Amino acid sequence: MSGTTPAIIAENLHKRYGGTVAVDDVSLHVEAGAVLGVLGTNGAGKTTTVEMIAGLRRPDRGRVGVLGLDPRRDRAKVRQVLGVQLQQAYLHGALTVAELIGLYRSFYPAPRPAEELLELVGLGEQRAVRFEKLSGGQQQRLSIALALAGRPRVVILDELTTGLDPRARRQMWKTIERLRDEDVTIVLVSHAMEEVERLCDHVALLDAGRVVAFDTPAGLVSRAGAENLDEAFVALTGKELEEAQ
Amino acid sequence: MSTAIETRRPGARAWLTLIQCEAKMVARDTAGLIVPIGLPLLILVTSATAAGDQVVAGGRTALDLFVLPLVLTMVIATIGIINMPSFLAYYRRSGILRRLSVTPASPVMVLVAQVVVSVLQAALGIAAALAVAGLLFGANPPAALGRALGVFALAMAAMYALGMMVAAVAPTPNSAVAIGLVLFFALGAVGGMFGGRQALPEPVAEFGGWLPFGAAVDALSAAWAGAAVEPAQLLSLGATVVVGAAVAGLLFRWE
Repeated sequence: MSGTTPAIIAENLHKRYGGTVAVDDVSLHVEAGAVLGVLGTNGAGKTTTVEMIAGLRRPDRGRVGVLGLDPRRDRAKVRQVLGVQLQQAYLHGALTVAELIGLYRSFYPAPRPAEELLELVGLGEQRAVRFEKLSGGQQQRLSIALALAGRPRVVILDELTTGLDPRARRQMWKTIERLRDEDVTIVLVSHAMEEVERLCDHVALLDAGRVVAFDTPAGLVSRAGAENLDEAFVALTGKELEEAQ
Repeated sequence: MSTAIETRRPGARAWLTLIQCEAKMVARDTAGLIVPIGLPLLILVTSATAAGDQVVAGGRTALDLFVLPLVLTMVIATIGIINMPSFLAYYRRSGILRRLSVTPASPVMVLVAQVVVSVLQAALGIAAALAVAGLLFGANPPAALGRALGVFALAMAAMYALGMMVAAVAPTPNSAVAIGLVLFFALGAVGGMFGGRQALPEPVAEFGGWLPFGAAVDALSAAWAGAAVEPAQLLSLGATVVVGAAVAGLLFRWE
């Protein structure tokens, strides 16, 4: 895929909260149609990084481009082509799954059909259930469906499968593979090595706000002289990757 | 690559869907209905019983000229300045606004949907209160109905503009209620909410008549009597709408 324009460019991003440096000079490029996994322990700066790419947080320094647009300055344009699943977000609690899907679809000119969205995340049977009555995993799946409602060309998913049961997790993986087949560019924040190995073309390993390694999953393993990605992670960061469930 | 992306803002269908969704949220939250629908009736009944039925001017009684304008102003000020911002602040706190911020929905859409749904509820409550005022307490309609409706709409817009300003600056739902209450009582106190402005020191009473609460009461009272409304009062209300909406739009935060 070399030679194509990057769909996402992040250059020298810095972000500090009070005295704490959350992101310290992070640069990332994601080719159009590629899947990038962002790995790291809690507090490594993953969420802050992707939220700066999504235009939710203003970098103290550095530059972000999504399909050649600045997500803060060109907000109206970027929002049409970028779908985001946030780690910390809530939806109208008293609305049902179907109503929320209808609402979020209405924001886009050519949305994905509601039935397709329900099927992608396996919530067909919960369509008449209010958001506040859904389990945590179901709420997360709905949040993913809403990120895909506008047929985005770029998708940012923060903690795709954390907290999902194995069946739902495999279903989300299939969904990501389907998006990949549609040439959607995807940034995946993850705790799960298996997920990253299966889905991602490249992995950015974050530690203490910096990118300590950027490679293909196989490249990371061989670079670290490890047997698998788990071991590579420990070798490259000196930390165990806890699976936040 | 960017040239391929056209700016297409959400259209009428999106606005309508958001308004419908907000209305469903409100209808399913029974506690939230108490203030806009129950409050007008409560304030009316407690105030109207004290008003005499002697004609003051133009065939209108003290109830028509003093009590009803004050009741209506109190109701729209409560809903606009205290009730509406608390909902918006809750949306911000819970992350609903944050989630909407990564969609093409604009702040204006969110604010307008909130106001529309709030106006619908308030209209229900006020209609019920006015019906009771007419049927049980013998209240008369305004001598200048069109003028009264116009003044009322402008006053309502001014109160919502103040409320949107509160919602824009308040960091938490609790602080939204606190700021709203302070603003409500301050405007109300100098605007004649506690026993009429004539009881206040002259400069304060004069000043209070210029502020939105006092201006709304006086302008409604004039319209009810069929008298001309003072341009200064309309100017005060109009300026509040413009300033409030501008500040709310500039300071709007998704989180």
